[in-house]
Amino acid sequence: MNRRDFLKSAMIGGAALTVPMGLDPILTALVAAEKTDLAVASGTPPDKITRAAIDALGGMKRFVSRGDVVVVKPNIGWDRTPEYAANTNPDVVAAVVRLCLEAGAKTVKVFDHPVSNPRRAYKQSGIADAAAAAGAAVSFIDDRKFKDMQINGHSLKSWPLYTEVFEADKVINVPIAKTHGLSKLTLGMKNWMGVMGGSRGRIHQRVNESIVDLAIFIKPVLTILDAVRILTDNGPQGGNLTDVKQLNMVIAGTDAVAVDAFGATLFGMKPAELGCVRIGHQLKLGSMDLEKMKIKRITV
Amino acid sequence: MLKNIRRLSQAFFLLIFLWLFLLTESRGENELGYPVKVFLEADPLIFITTTLSTRALYTPFLLSLLIIIATAVLGRVFCGWVCPLGTLHNMAGTLKKKSLSKKSYNLYHWKYIILIFLLVSSAFTLQLSGILDPLALLIRSLSLSIYPLFQYATAGVFDAVYAWHLPVITDFSEFIYGMLKKTVLSFHQPYFNQAVFTGLLFLGILALNLLEQRFWCKFLCPLGALLGLFSRYAILNRSVSEGCDGCGVCRRSCQGGAAPDKKDKWLKSECMACMNCDDLCPRNAVRFGFSGKPAGVALDIGKRRVIGSMIAGLIAVPLLRISPLKKAGAAEPRLIRPPGSLDEKAFLQRCIKCGECMKVCITGGLQPTLLEADLEGIWSPVLVPRIGYCEYRCTLCGQVCPTAAIRKLSVEEKASIRIGLAMIDKGRCLPFAHSTPCIVCEEVCPTPKKAIWFEEVRVRNRNDKTVTVKQPHVDLELCVGCGICETKCPVLGLPAITVTSIGESRSKDNQLLLP
Repeated sequence: MNRRDFLKSAMIGGAALTVPMGLDPILTALVAAEKTDLAVASGTPPDKITRAAIDALGGMKRFVSRGDVVVVKPNIGWDRTPEYAANTNPDVVAAVVRLCLEAGAKTVKVFDHPVSNPRRAYKQSGIADAAAAAGAAVSFIDDRKFKDMQINGHSLKSWPLYTEVFEADKVINVPIAKTHGLSKLTLGMKNWMGVMGGSRGRIHQRVNESIVDLAIFIKPVLTILDAVRILTDNGPQGGNLTDVKQLNMVIAGTDAVAVDAFGATLFGMKPAELGCVRIGHQLKLGSMDLEKMKIKRITV
Repeated sequence: MLKNIRRLSQAFFLLIFLWLFLLTESRGENELGYPVKVFLEADPLIFITTTLSTRALYTPFLLSLLIIIATAVLGRVFCGWVCPLGTLHNMAGTLKKKSLSKKSYNLYHWKYIILIFLLVSSAFTLQLSGILDPLALLIRSLSLSIYPLFQYATAGVFDAVYAWHLPVITDFSEFIYGMLKKTVLSFHQPYFNQAVFTGLLFLGILALNLLEQRFWCKFLCPLGALLGLFSRYAILNRSVSEGCDGCGVCRRSCQGGAAPDKKDKWLKSECMACMNCDDLCPRNAVRFGFSGKPAGVALDIGKRRVIGSMIAGLIAVPLLRISPLKKAGAAEPRLIRPPGSLDEKAFLQRCIKCGECMKVCITGGLQPTLLEADLEGIWSPVLVPRIGYCEYRCTLCGQVCPTAAIRKLSVEEKASIRIGLAMIDKGRCLPFAHSTPCIVCEEVCPTPKKAIWFEEVRVRNRNDKTVTVKQPHVDLELCVGCGICETKCPVLGLPAITVTSIGESRSKDNQLLLP
């Protein structure tokens, strides 16, 4: 928690203490939202449930301040159209962009480093067009902006990472929930492969430890897991509509481990079965104990 | 005045040509959406040689009838007013020191010899016209060498300024760079094999203008020769009035070397209708018009030369085809052709080595061959997975191929076409030989049912510890040979999984599995 959040919580907490509960419903809602660990919104359309999930956490103003430069990092890894659930849903990305701008962000940058050809991935996923229409500054990866960063993790000592992520005021992770041959699932923490340069295929040799190192090094203020459609087999690239399951859900949280832990349950897995969740929990990046968390479920 | 209209026309067509060249690039959409191959489809030499070599009419080439008719009526106006390579020759020729000597090369017959050779060999199915056709040569040279060179130099300058991190200057430079990236620069730096060779050849051809203006057009261009033949009975004729005093201004300014000062012995087939003699004649004695009176003489190539050229064209066919690669089943393993390619025999009859497919290939995987497809297939496209793979849902190469050597495919059709098969080298693959997890190949395999499956195996590592690794296997029935596994395999340089052409759908012989 940074100073701004602490002061806000303290002020609200203090104000709430002085006002009897029930006399000020806004303060009540805020206090309740402060305590929500995970927001799980269900329904349609995607941009409405995205908003609902973030509102349940206290609204985007809790995360983005006026004048911020925000990086929204979706999954634009593959040359697939939205119904194949290989990339983040473009409507979810657009909703996040709009929410950031409404909260006063100066610029919202959207980019990813695809595995497929970048022009096709950006176009076919629909994300570049949707994000641009929502007002984001969409850009392709510029190879000059990779810089070796001292991650000093358990697996990765240093790695070339995209500097624009670290020059931003706030970073928001917007992954999609899919299966993955090696790591079983790819959710939020694995999404950080999209800001890696170099020969990143090598991290498969220690995949779970490496992506936890990245998740610790990059500190997103928010993780918004797109589960409008999930890819249940032949991930992370898919290509078969029969592998796609329409869930119409969006999960949001500040704890990256918790979001991934909840994501695992969507595939019928226990959180501890996911290597990165288990390691993230052990390293105290976050918690995988879903039973102990306050999970707010909203249906739209 | 006519001269200036002609120059405007040349500039116009050159700009259109370059604009279409720049548009031969993906924007991420499925369809390219621009008629980038229109110059090649309108090329009569390509039309005639392809029709001869394939014994079939490919309808887009009917566009070339426009040029044939224009030439039959007006003479070699294509050469003088339209051809973008001709315009480049004019531009290069401005660097030549203007000499007033009467010396000039008398090599006009060379291009007819080349033309006859190409016509005869293509009549016997050997299609070599793309090597010397001016439009194919220009597009190939620009795609494989000149444009990559331009990109490299420009990006190099801007990247240097970027690296300096100067306060105002770097921002301004990045702004200009951004504008250039949206207009004339390529998305990625193109890299091509033989770029040095192709570039030097092209610059050498342009440098010939220092010996004689439009050296290529006068002495080497087979399309110019073809149009020269067609222009024999053109009704646009040149007449010289009695006012001519033999000053020779017309001879010095003649772009075709058509001996205009010889009045009635004017070489009609060499005239490119550049109008220089008309404009510059100080006595206003020259006139181009439709008077109906046939003028000038035909070029005498020489009977022996014609026969010699025909024989050469005949001999070339078996000479170029006695290579072991033509033996059934002796497929060159690394000759992975683009998806949609016809079987090799038919492919070589059609491919004009224009380089359009290589220019448009979004991963840069299509490279020019040297001798992998024999001399007959020089500079035809081959997929080199180490450099770039075939993106599963992309169909651009078939969209830009002017002769349908690569058929235009829909995304659905393409999914059922195989261009080769991937196989794993267990001595290099990390999970097999080095007890280390990997399976990047399985992750990037684009086939919907995954042509790479894995087996969980318990192996011992050096410390005698048992580790479980997922070992990949290729499903030979599902693999389409796209090569992304080879491109992304972390064992750089000599990957642990490689694609060869065996199993390619287009070939009857080059098969592995029993159907």
